[in-house]
Amino acid sequence: MKASAIVFLAAFLVLVSSWAGLVLTPQLQLGGVTQTNILGSSDLYPVMRPGMARQGLEVYRANGCMYCHSQQVSQDATHCEIILTDPGTNAVATLAALGSLNTELAKPATLADLPKTILTVADMNAADPVLKTLHGAGAQVEVHVVPQGPDIARGWGRRRTVAQDYLYDDPVQLGVRRIGPDLANEGNFKPDAGWQYRHLYAPASETPGSQMPPYRFLFETRKIVREPSPDALKLSGDLAPAAGYEVVPKPEARALVAYLMSLRADAPLFEAPVTSLAASTSAPDTNAPAATSSSK
Amino acid sequence: MTADLKTAKSSGDTEPTSAFTTMPLWLVVMTMLVLFWGTISFDQHGAWFEPRVYEPYESVADLQRFQPRSGGQSVLLRGKTLFDSNCALCHGTDGLGKPNQAPPLAGSEWVLAKGVNRLVRIPSVGLSGPVEVKGQQFNLSMAAMGAAYSHEDLAAVLSYIRNSWGNKASIVTPDQVKKVRADLAGRTQPYSPDELKTLPEE
Repeated sequence: MKASAIVFLAAFLVLVSSWAGLVLTPQLQLGGVTQTNILGSSDLYPVMRPGMARQGLEVYRANGCMYCHSQQVSQDATHCEIILTDPGTNAVATLAALGSLNTELAKPATLADLPKTILTVADMNAADPVLKTLHGAGAQVEVHVVPQGPDIARGWGRRRTVAQDYLYDDPVQLGVRRIGPDLANEGNFKPDAGWQYRHLYAPASETPGSQMPPYRFLFETRKIVREPSPDALKLSGDLAPAAGYEVVPKPEARALVAYLMSLRADAPLFEAPVTSLAASTSAPDTNAPAATSSSK
Repeated sequence: MTADLKTAKSSGDTEPTSAFTTMPLWLVVMTMLVLFWGTISFDQHGAWFEPRVYEPYESVADLQRFQPRSGGQSVLLRGKTLFDSNCALCHGTDGLGKPNQAPPLAGSEWVLAKGVNRLVRIPSVGLSGPVEVKGQQFNLSMAAMGAAYSHEDLAAVLSYIRNSWGNKASIVTPDQVKKVRADLAGRTQPYSPDELKTLPEE
């Protein structure tokens, strides 16, 4: 072969460039990520998951949860919302100030049902003059940074996920398919352990139409000796065990639920700014865990 | 060389050979255009390998536009910081409380009351005696956890618990706290829930 040296060199270059792009550059970019501070606070982020939750990661991995559930929230855009919390003592001046920003706001209905979002602006720089105007009229106003995107609209997170969120996960369970909902913020949106146990035991009982298979081998049906266990699942209807029996989670289920509850990728960071309390915007109205995205 | 190639083609059974030819001009132009577009796109959206920049942000300067102003920490964030370090030990960071020990704050009728006349008194001097929250009985006294708070801080914590975990109620202003505390007039004895209920909500 005449051009063997060139062929060898070309193949070598292709391999080297893909290695540099897929291994070397990410390592240089993110290899040095360490624990950092939550924006505007001295709290550290992320913190190592508690021991049970770390064991739960193994259960999550062993049961292939990752094949149906992703743990990555995407984001399309960010904007700032201006939230009126208190009109101050001089409602007339506040209404006049609101009117100078947007004539539609200059009506008494704006001052009812506070706190609420009155304006949406592009960024903090655009929010500054608005704040100045409203503070001048004696009103109390807050600016919230609100990320936008389909995943966020589904309630799967408040901001996009970034490398920092996965610092202590090994291996990272990013997932590639979404047959079920994203779990990056499961601990925030379903903080009820009882719900998690019932859902693992019989998914369709908690989210009608769920395609998730039941994970009953993580539970044990046993005879009640003297007192029923406080951890026994509160099952009803067909699912309820025979009289004198109870369904309790095995250690694997406890670890898995501890892991799910520890999934909270929502701390405000420099690279993913968000006002952590979307209290007056997109937060669900109640703590009731029944409203899920999977059936939508 | 060219002659050889021609004969090889026509006969069809000799070994094919390779030779250097010039690259077509359209391919060169196309490659240049793709490279040009690639560099422009990288310059605009790639943030030059800056690891802190993720979609949808395009540069560090872009990120700066959304950083909270220093010193301008919102009331609710301030409330969360205080709550997590002082109240969450019993009432939980999720506001669900602890069974038989601390009542839940999420959905609690005491927290979501229309006015804050009763609510401000609880952390200011404490609460002692049996109390019913969301249909459950609790009987463990609470110390005057918020006695040392400034009016602003107590207002921030109360605003936070009234607007978190699905709660939605009005923001508490420092003036409201000041007014109720003035009414306490140096009281140090904790309230009992029954005594609180005799007071007006607002």
